[in-house]
Amino acid sequence: MIASLPVSQHFTATRNACKLCTPLGACLAFSGIEGALPFLHGSQGCSTYIRRYMISHFREPMDIASSNFGEHTAIFGGGKNIRIGLANVIEGYNPTMIGIATTCLSETIGDDVKMFLHEFRKDHEGEALPHLVHVATPSYTGTHATGYHDAVRAIVDVLAKPGPTIKGLVNVIPGMLSPADLRWLKQVVADFGLDPILLPDYSDRLDGGTWSEYKKLPPGGTTIDQAARMGQAQATLEFGFTTKQSTSAGTLLEKKFGIPCHRLGVPIGVGDTDALFDKLQQISGRPIPESYTAKRERLVDSYIDAHKYVIGKRVVVFGEEDLVVGMTAMMGEVGLKPVLCSSGGKSGKMADCIHAAAPEIAEHCEIREGVDFEEIADHARELKPDLLVGNSKGYKLARELNVPLIRVGFPIHDRIGGARILHVGYDGAQARFDSIANSLLEIRQQDSDVGFTYF
Amino acid sequence: MRKIAIYGKGGIGKSTTTQNTVAALAEMGKKIMVVGCDPKADSTRLLLHGLAQKSVLDTLREEGEDVELDDIRREGYGNCLCVESGGPEPGVGCAGRGIITSINMLEQLGAYEESEELDYSFYDVLGDVVCGGFAMPIREGKAQEIYIVCSGEMMAMYAANNICKGIMKFAESGGVRLGGLICNSRNVDNEKEMIEEFAKQLGTQMIHFVPRDNDVQRAEIRKMTVIDWNSSCPQADEYRALAANIDANKLFVVPNPLQVEQLEELLMEFGLLEGVA
Repeated sequence: MIASLPVSQHFTATRNACKLCTPLGACLAFSGIEGALPFLHGSQGCSTYIRRYMISHFREPMDIASSNFGEHTAIFGGGKNIRIGLANVIEGYNPTMIGIATTCLSETIGDDVKMFLHEFRKDHEGEALPHLVHVATPSYTGTHATGYHDAVRAIVDVLAKPGPTIKGLVNVIPGMLSPADLRWLKQVVADFGLDPILLPDYSDRLDGGTWSEYKKLPPGGTTIDQAARMGQAQATLEFGFTTKQSTSAGTLLEKKFGIPCHRLGVPIGVGDTDALFDKLQQISGRPIPESYTAKRERLVDSYIDAHKYVIGKRVVVFGEEDLVVGMTAMMGEVGLKPVLCSSGGKSGKMADCIHAAAPEIAEHCEIREGVDFEEIADHARELKPDLLVGNSKGYKLARELNVPLIRVGFPIHDRIGGARILHVGYDGAQARFDSIANSLLEIRQQDSDVGFTYF
Repeated sequence: MRKIAIYGKGGIGKSTTTQNTVAALAEMGKKIMVVGCDPKADSTRLLLHGLAQKSVLDTLREEGEDVELDDIRREGYGNCLCVESGGPEPGVGCAGRGIITSINMLEQLGAYEESEELDYSFYDVLGDVVCGGFAMPIREGKAQEIYIVCSGEMMAMYAANNICKGIMKFAESGGVRLGGLICNSRNVDNEKEMIEEFAKQLGTQMIHFVPRDNDVQRAEIRKMTVIDWNSSCPQADEYRALAANIDANKLFVVPNPLQVEQLEELLMEFGLLEGVA
């Protein structure tokens, strides 16, 4: 009897979660600061797992320190370990900032990291210490996306300083995007004659060149000075509607320094990219640079050209909530039909965001928050999609259903170039749309007895 | 070997009652091991005439894995064996995990082996069953009998009832049973009758009513059990009676915890009798 039910109905545990560890997101955010080093307060395995995941996606070296919890630390608390660990890291790396994220174990035993840091500062009074940024990231609450956003807020809270407003200075809080996306955002804001401060900016540190000698701290990232100047910006652009507004970095900058925060959807697809360009026109008082209008026209033209190949094709989308919302909106624009939008996140906002961004899709689409891949698979088997859009963790399902997986988001473990996937802007939409259309064409070609060479 | 765990509200007298009972059992010629499961490590002070002992966790921390039974076990009154699990300072770490670690350690070191020829092992557990660690002594059949120390005070009864909920849960998966309530009197009105009735409603018994006597305090100041300090005083006989009752006990039950309303009714019925009159 039980065996005949879908897995999701007789299995209570999460299996193959459609989310990653909360401190993983925090480590990613910390990696975007120049000279910074992430430090996990917990067991070795936490840092090993996160390093392994990030290295296989970004294919760059990734150092994450650990306070190395053992049985004794679990019992007696991690105060001693964190103090020794921080001192070792300072000696070994001389970082500008140490981003300290907690783990399930240290949170569960109730380690008071704020107090430990206070004691550490007292012990080292008079010495030049790196900035110590702390974020609480028990993985049993939230996802890697919440860890990311909370860490960004914690960095801003420690580093941003007040001062007179600098005209043209714009804070950009990008959300969990690829290095390619970060580069695009910086360029666009600069092309409006504005001076962007992107936080975090791991576009160089996690997607850089080769070195003849190993560097403990990879070059690049938002500098400490830039982060300090965020308190003097003219405006903040913050992307993604599924994050909690009351505790976002943009809201913090607004509350602390009175900087107006403009919240926008992640600019994936024509609609949300247009919204970003409108906002940039408004902030800068300049028109949209011609090169972007031309790109937009080419994108729309390609939508029309390839529309006949993609219309009505059924898609299952999964990943971080903001990414799912953005990809769904983009696919809706061109007549693709997302039939299931799913995420391991549980913001409670994903359905509303999809309704707002793509009302015509939301009407006929299942929207599921807080699901794992077993549940996604259960739905997908019934929905019979033509393709999947999401990260590498959906590959097993794609293989089972014998449909293509269009790889977006994080992690991309089974292809190269995860860091170079561009999702945002007209260029991002163009690249993603082309790969979707071409995958569908490839299937038609493969499935045909005739061997068409024209479509 | 009978394996007994003592639970009860904080400050109710678990350690005092346990040690005095152990002294009486030792006097009867029983071979006993007492395992203090409290980070304060004060569960064997009266048997050892002071806090003379290094806890399991301190030893483990200082000497690593290379620990021997004799490093952590001291002989106390009447040849009883005393162990303190120990734990972190207040407010840090995880005392529950500490108890799990130290009981596992004792097992590994063979403290419970037949060759030790123990008649009894007692676990004296801190306060309520606040987390999984404090339930360790009643998990996986480590302790088979539980006695709850309580008084006629409302909060003590409330805690006892709550502990029964824990026992009920562990009784389903393991063999642990409630052996009875030990009433450590606080001179509450109708205390004996009330606890007898409470025990009855829980499906168990009041195994002994220990009257309040300052001799307990006098012995304690001298770091001794009552029997050790003055074996002929009346309170010594109370502990002998308690020990004899436990030794002869055959009533082991899965308790039936009361609803809060039932508990309050009980308090109204007994606690207010004289107040109303």
